[in-house]
Amino acid sequence: MNDRRSAWLLIAPALLLVGVVYFLPLARVLAISVMEPEPGLGNYALLFTSAPIQRVLLTTLRICVFTTSITLVLAYVVAYVLTHARPTAQRLMMLGVLLPLWMSVLVRAFAWVTLLRRQGLVNNALIGMGAIDEPLALMWNEIGVTIGMVHYMLPLGILPLWAAMRDIDGRVLAASRGLGASATQTFVRVFLPLSLPGVIGAGLLVFIFSLGFFITPAILGGGKTIMVAEYINVQIHESLRWGVGTMIASTLVATIFALMFALSRLVDLRTLFGAK
Amino acid sequence: MNPTRLTRSVGWAVICFLVLPITIVFPVSLTDKRYLSLPEEGISFKHYVNLFGSAEWLGSIGQSLYIGVVATAISVTAGTLCAIGCWRLSSRAGEAVRAMMLVPIVVPTIVYALGIYRFWVDLRLLDTYTGVILVHAVTGIPYVVVTVSTALAGFDARLEQAARNLGASAFQTLRRVVLPGILPGVVSGAIFAFIHSWDELVIVLFIASRAVFTLPRRIWDGINEHLDPTMAAVATIMIALTAVLLVLDLRMRRRKEG
Amino acid sequence: MIKLQTFAEDFAEIRALGRRGVLGGAAALGLAGASGAARAQAPKEVVLCNFGGDAVKAMTEAFVVPYEKKTGGKMVIDGSGPSNGKIKTMVMAKNVTWDVADSGLGGTGELGPAGLLEEIDYSVVDKNKVLSGFAYKYGVCNYMFSTVMAWDTAKVKEKPTLADFFDFKKYPGKRLMRKDSQAMYELALMADGVPKDQLYPLDVPRALKKIAAIKKDLLFWGTGAESQSMLRDGEVVMGWLWNTRATLLQRDTKGKVTFSFDGGLLQPGLWVVPKGNPAGKQVWVAIASMQEPEGQVKLLAALGNGPANPAAAPLVPAELKPLDPASPDNVKVQAKIDGEWYEKNYARTRQEFLDMIAS
Repeated sequence: MNDRRSAWLLIAPALLLVGVVYFLPLARVLAISVMEPEPGLGNYALLFTSAPIQRVLLTTLRICVFTTSITLVLAYVVAYVLTHARPTAQRLMMLGVLLPLWMSVLVRAFAWVTLLRRQGLVNNALIGMGAIDEPLALMWNEIGVTIGMVHYMLPLGILPLWAAMRDIDGRVLAASRGLGASATQTFVRVFLPLSLPGVIGAGLLVFIFSLGFFITPAILGGGKTIMVAEYINVQIHESLRWGVGTMIASTLVATIFALMFALSRLVDLRTLFGAK
Repeated sequence: MNPTRLTRSVGWAVICFLVLPITIVFPVSLTDKRYLSLPEEGISFKHYVNLFGSAEWLGSIGQSLYIGVVATAISVTAGTLCAIGCWRLSSRAGEAVRAMMLVPIVVPTIVYALGIYRFWVDLRLLDTYTGVILVHAVTGIPYVVVTVSTALAGFDARLEQAARNLGASAFQTLRRVVLPGILPGVVSGAIFAFIHSWDELVIVLFIASRAVFTLPRRIWDGINEHLDPTMAAVATIMIALTAVLLVLDLRMRRRKEG
Repeated sequence: MIKLQTFAEDFAEIRALGRRGVLGGAAALGLAGASGAARAQAPKEVVLCNFGGDAVKAMTEAFVVPYEKKTGGKMVIDGSGPSNGKIKTMVMAKNVTWDVADSGLGGTGELGPAGLLEEIDYSVVDKNKVLSGFAYKYGVCNYMFSTVMAWDTAKVKEKPTLADFFDFKKYPGKRLMRKDSQAMYELALMADGVPKDQLYPLDVPRALKKIAAIKKDLLFWGTGAESQSMLRDGEVVMGWLWNTRATLLQRDTKGKVTFSFDGGLLQPGLWVVPKGNPAGKQVWVAIASMQEPEGQVKLLAALGNGPANPAAAPLVPAELKPLDPASPDNVKVQAKIDGEWYEKNYARTRQEFLDMIAS
C-alpha cells in the first residue's frame, strides 16, 4: 500500500503540470468542436460526408504508415549496428544520429529542397553520372514529404531502440549459440523478441508523432500534400472554422487512444512500457 | 552476434543519410546571395557577420537557450519521476497515465496553442518567459516519459527490490540503483525535451509577441521575408558546437580508459 | 559545458542591450526628452501588427516616424503576424493587444461579418485619400498590390498570355499558384476568356474546373518567399504571385525571371481594427496619419507596395512608376478586385479552393 502511495507521489508533479497546463486548456478548445457553429455533432458528421476531409485523413494515414515502417526498419539496423560496434565507431555513429537534431526543422526542410528539387544536387549528380536523362520528381510530392519525415523521425526511432538493445543480456545470446542455434536463428528467436518492446515503443512514438506533423509536409509537399495538421491550421488561422478544426483534432486524440487500446490487446502493454 | 558486413553498410548508409542535409548547410551558409542557395559567384561570410553583429539574432539565441534549459530541467525531473512511478505501479492506472502523457505529442500543436492562449490571457502570462517555459516544459514531458519508460522496460526490477531488502531507503534506491540503470533513457529524454523547446515554433508564434522572440521565430521571420541564409549560419554553428562537445567527450573517455 | 553563471550574465546583458536599443531609437525620434507630465497627457500608444521581416523597418520609416513627429504619440510595430485566428482569439478572450493590423479582404471577409472588427470611423479617416472602391466598412486600404504573371525567360521566350498558363503544349513545365483562392479565381477566369470588367460575381465552379484540370502540374506557394524560390530555382516556368515578390525576383535573377501587370489583379492591403482595440479612438488618428502620400511613397520604394492615396501619384519617382501597381498606366491593364463580393463570399469560396487542392 505504502509503495503504491509513493508511486503516485512520483507521478503527481507531472500529472499536475500536464493536467493544469495541458489538458485544461485543451479541453476548453476541444469543446468548441461540439459548440461551433451550433451545439451538436454537426462537425463530426463531416467525417462521413466531406470528401476533402476524408482525403486529407487518408493522405495523412498513408504517409504516416510509410514513414513509420521505413523509419523502424532503418532505425533497427542502425541501433543494431550501434549496439555491436566498437566504442569509437559507436561514438561516431552517435554523432551522426545526434547532429541532425540541432538543425531546426525549418532549416532541414530547406536543405532537402536544395538537395532534391528538379535542379537540385541529387538530380544534377544523377544526370551527370548518366544514370537518368530527365530529373526525377523527388520533391513537391509525397516522396519528398516522406524523405523529409523519415529523416526527422530516425533519431526518435534509433535512440529508444538502442536503449532497449543495450539492455539485452549478451550471455543469453551466447547461450543460444552455444546450444547450437545459427546466427539467424539466434537473431530471430532470441534477439528480435527481446528487442520487441523497444520496437513497439519506438514505432508508436514515431507514428503518433508523424500524425501531427506540420512544417515538413507544408514545405516539401509543394502545397499539394495536405496533411491533417496543416488542414487544421488553415481552419484555425485563416478560415475561422474552429469547429471543424477542433473536431479533426478530437478525432486524432480518439484515434490514438483506440490505437493504444488495440495494441494493449495484441501485446501486453506492461511489457511495452516498463514493468515486468 | 556481430552484424554482417551488409547490415553494417546499411547502418552506415543511414547515418550518411542523416548527415546529408548537414553537409549542404555549411556551403549554403557561405552563399553570396541574400536568399538560401549555394554560393554562385563566390563565397561570402556576410551571413556570419550578420549573425554575430545583430543584437536581434544573438538575443534570440540567448532567449532560446535560457528557455530551453529551464524547460528541459522541469520536463526531465517531472517526466522521469512519472515514468518510474508508472513502472512501480505496473497496473492499469499506470498505463492510463502513460497513455495520457502521449497526448501532447499527437494533438496538432496549433489546437493546443489556441487553448493555452486563452489560458495565459486569464493568468496574464502572454509574452512572458514564465509562460513560454511552462508550455515548453509541459509539452516536453512526453518525450522523457517515453524514453525513460522504454529504458525501464529493460531494467531488472529485482535490483530495486534487492537494494530495498539490503536496507537502502526509497530515495537512496532511486538515486543509486534505478537512476544509473536508466540513465541512457533519461539522457535521451533530456535531449529530446531540449530540442523540442529549442525548435518549437507554432506555440511561440501564438503566445509571444514583442518581449519573447525565440530563435525559431527569428528564423521564421527570415524565411517569410527572403529565405534568410542567416539560419544556415546558425545551424552550422550549432552543429559545429555539438560536434566539438561530442569529440571532446570522446577524448576524455579515451584518456580515462587508456 | 555551458557555464550557467556566465550565461545568465550574458543574458541579462543582452536583454539590457535590447532595452537600450529601444530607448536609443526613441531618443533619435526626439521622444526621450519628453517630460513626465507631457508623457502623461500624450495619446495612447498605438500597436501596429504586421507580418514581420523587412516590413517592420519599412513601416517604421514610412508610418511610425511621421506619426510620432506629428502627434507626439507613440506607435510600435509587432511583427508577429496578425492571422485571422489570432485576431479572433484576442477578441474572444477580451484581451486585444493590437490596434491596427495589416490585413486584406481575407481579414474583412472572415472577421468583419463575425463581428470581430471595429467599423472604420470615416469621420477621422479620409475616404477621399483612398483609390475609389477600396474603402470598406471594416477595412481601409493602405497600400495596393497586384497578383501578376511572372515567367522564366529561359523557357518562355515570348511574353505569355494568361491562356498560355493553361497551355502545356506550347510551354511544358510546372505552373505556380497561391494556396488561396483570392486572385487565382480571377486570373483563371480571365484566362478562360471572361473580360476583366465582367468578372464579378465570380463564376466559382467554372474557375475551379479550369484550375482542377491542370492540378497535377501545379505547385502552390504559401509564403511570398516560397513563390520567389520556386521561380528562381527553375522549379516552375510560370507563376501567379504578388508584384512585390515578382519585382524582387526580377532584380535577384537579373531579368531571367520577369513579369507583367497585363492581366493582373489589383488588390488592396487593408488596415483592420480588432474589436475592443486598446488605444480606442486614437487608432483612427494613426490610420489617418498613415494616409499621407509621403509615407506611402516610402513604402513603395522599400517594399513595392503601391500608394493607396491617389494624391501620391505625382510624388512617385519616374524609375518606380513601372513597378507601382497603382500607377495609372498599370491600373489600366489590370482587373480590380470587388471587395463587396469578397465580404459575402470569401469564406465559402476559399474553402472550396482549398478542398479542391486537398482532394
